[in-house]
Amino acid sequence: MKILVALKRVADPDNANKVKIPPSGDRIDTAGLEWKPNPFDEYALEAALRLTEDGKAPKARAGEVVVVTFGPKETEQTLRAALATGADRAIRVDVTDDKLDGALVARALKALVEREKPDVVLMGKQAVDGDSNQVGQSLAELLDWPMATFAATIQEEQGALLVGREVDGGVAVLRVRLPAVVTVDLRIVAPTSVYSLKTARTHKYNDGVRFAALPAIMASKKKPLAEVKLADLTADSGLKVQYHGFEPPPARKAGIKVKDVADLVARLKNEAKVL
Amino acid sequence: MSNAPNLQQNRYKADLREVRFLLFEQFKLDQILGQGPFEAWGPDEVQMVVDEAYKFSCEVLGPLNAVGDRTGCRLEGGQVYTPPGFKEAWNKLYEAGWMAVSAEPEYGGQGGPFTLHITIQEFMSGANSAFIMYPGLAFGAAEVIQLFGTDAQKEHYLRTMYGGKWGGTMCLTEPQAGSDVGSSRTTAKKLPDGKYAIRGTKIFISGGDHDCAENIVHLVLARVDNAPAGTKGLSLFIVPKVRTNADGSLGEANDVTVGAIEHKMGINGSATCVLNFGENDGCVGELVGTVENQGMSQMFRMMNGARISVGLQGVAVASAAYLNALEYARDRKQGPSINNWKDATAPRVAIVEHPDVRRMLLDMKSRVEGIRALIIKLTRHFDMTRVLQGKDDEQALYHQGQVDLLVPLVKAYGSDQGFRVCETAIQTYGGAGYIKDYPVEQYCRDAKVFSIYEGTNHIQAMDLVGRKLGQRGGANLQGFLGDVAAFVKANEKHPVLGKAVKELGEAQEAVAGTAMRLLGWFQMGKMPMVPLSANRFLEMMSETAVAWLLLDAAKIALDAQEKLPAGDESASERAFYEGKKHTALYYALNVLPHVRLSAEILGREDSSALEISTESFATV
Repeated sequence: MKILVALKRVADPDNANKVKIPPSGDRIDTAGLEWKPNPFDEYALEAALRLTEDGKAPKARAGEVVVVTFGPKETEQTLRAALATGADRAIRVDVTDDKLDGALVARALKALVEREKPDVVLMGKQAVDGDSNQVGQSLAELLDWPMATFAATIQEEQGALLVGREVDGGVAVLRVRLPAVVTVDLRIVAPTSVYSLKTARTHKYNDGVRFAALPAIMASKKKPLAEVKLADLTADSGLKVQYHGFEPPPARKAGIKVKDVADLVARLKNEAKVL
Repeated sequence: MSNAPNLQQNRYKADLREVRFLLFEQFKLDQILGQGPFEAWGPDEVQMVVDEAYKFSCEVLGPLNAVGDRTGCRLEGGQVYTPPGFKEAWNKLYEAGWMAVSAEPEYGGQGGPFTLHITIQEFMSGANSAFIMYPGLAFGAAEVIQLFGTDAQKEHYLRTMYGGKWGGTMCLTEPQAGSDVGSSRTTAKKLPDGKYAIRGTKIFISGGDHDCAENIVHLVLARVDNAPAGTKGLSLFIVPKVRTNADGSLGEANDVTVGAIEHKMGINGSATCVLNFGENDGCVGELVGTVENQGMSQMFRMMNGARISVGLQGVAVASAAYLNALEYARDRKQGPSINNWKDATAPRVAIVEHPDVRRMLLDMKSRVEGIRALIIKLTRHFDMTRVLQGKDDEQALYHQGQVDLLVPLVKAYGSDQGFRVCETAIQTYGGAGYIKDYPVEQYCRDAKVFSIYEGTNHIQAMDLVGRKLGQRGGANLQGFLGDVAAFVKANEKHPVLGKAVKELGEAQEAVAGTAMRLLGWFQMGKMPMVPLSANRFLEMMSETAVAWLLLDAAKIALDAQEKLPAGDESASERAFYEGKKHTALYYALNVLPHVRLSAEILGREDSSALEISTESFATV
């Protein structure tokens, strides 16, 4: 099976308090932030690796995992890290974040998919910076492929994937014919979430994503990493989303003590207007 | 206000910006990458190893730190069991390959810079200083075999030990032979097949037994029949827990038994064992190499690495304590700002706003960053010996000399200050720091042993004064003093740092003068003055070295800061570089002046501690 995994780098979500908005309010200030792969995309990569191996012998890849990201030269580090954890090849589409929106990424990915012809496109359900949750759905629509979003489990079948989707109140199971687009949720990296045809159903993975081992880090330098111009993928680089301004969420106001229940109800009714 | 502590929560963190600064801005690791012995390494690989090893430390080792402390090790049926999770962590560590970064490719390593090995060892030591003892000692034992073993021994032991299949220890101490290694009584009797029957008892053996690896390779110091008394007659032996066959498979047990494990103040996850060799005359060892009575010099080589690792443990745990205290100080609100001290209704502020808390934080920051820089300085010298080997032997000797000179400083100052930083971290928390909901009390207990094992810090001071100062006819010390003097000369007019650099110049002179004084005591037969003053001298030299490296960092930071684009997109970089400046100024103006004072004190030759009679210490 050949899988294309779309990865985005985001400002370290553990340091969200360092994200600043300059007084001009015209952008988000990303200087000095540590960059990390979007966690949901890391889970997508882990799922892709699990789908292309026998869980007992994870060093041998059955099929191919190609990772792609959109970003400047520095984002190659994100790709190298993905290669070190087991991906076979990487593609960087050379562009900066401010020239992108979800629709444009989906258009460019469509062109890449037509070139690469993967059986599956995997990505996180959303990136934790913008939380747009659009690219997977848009891409499936543009390709006219089956789609399963918020995957919590994936089981490979002949020519199809059985995908357990996170829905309100439980997990809904869908069978999608290949080729397909699947976006993954948090629980996809639980020990028994993903099974290729080769992996025994009794196998249990370590919880979470795998670590890059030292020999693999050293070997990752020799794996191919191609650069592609955005213009080579789509002639239409227009943006559908225009940002007009940024402001931080309002600071929390100090609380007050209410006299009694009647006072509380009155305030909820008249001041907060929630009743 | 405290919830029940979650024992499995990772509390470890490191400042990766600081790591990048040290590796690439101050110590310019990239200058030796991509060529010579480090051909396969580029800055990207270094950065990836740093990132991944940090992640590993936080996700695998950190969550076991408090668990290991509370659970400890147990001895059951002659076998030591490590705390829950240690064995799995051991397997993951070796699967990931983190112990083999700088090991020879021939034996399964990646041949990377020692500087990188030490950088990631700091993460692992800080995340779990008890756990790292097991792989750390295995690594050290393997290094000795690599340096002194026969080809057959290297072939047989190195891959398995670097790869984590077998563990390793170093066995020196005996009940009557601690710092006085020469009184070892363990014996080795040559057998007809060229091997030796080993008999004796060793104590305080870290990782002397454990359940992480299928076998443990002990390096045991013992005396062959008719060998001279004292340290000259000691030889080093490879003594496996389980005998091994030529193909690496395991044979029968080798009569190495665990008498007991110690109950300690800290590093409870590390099994400290009493080991009995040959109680039933069935313990067989082989000599390391082929020549008897070389044990001490071989052991010294192992101890060099082990001593660096102990100084590193000090700074690693101290750094974790500092960063945790900082987080707490930024969060915990208590009292109004001193500027509003008369106003009872003034808003409460985070304790980081209080001057004394800021003093403690900056004190911790300067010691942690300064000692870390000293360690990287040392490892960078070591890497240079590898780069220059066979190309410029004279320069290589200079670098090796600096390694030798700095080892006792790193070990002793790193461990002493590490403990003190942990204590300051507790003080920063106040009462919260004293209770087990927060990690700093464990850090403090764990850190105490660092000044004791691998040669107490007084042994380090005597190594510095008795061996290192005179090494190569004093050239190592002259090299060090010359490097500091050159920095002073180049920077004493610096607009921001000049005043502090002058202080450094005076400290350098005080160190040089005191070194001469020590030499004078040797020559004038005032021998007891030497050990009486050695620790203080080591501290003087360490403070001088640390101040030098902090000022060097500040200068680099100020230069880099000037090149930052104006505007607030550089705010966090500017804050980082500003921090470097204040750190250096604080240390140079508040700590470094002790060096001058120490020189003056030693100049008075006060010998009260020698003159007081043993009876006069107390009447009980």
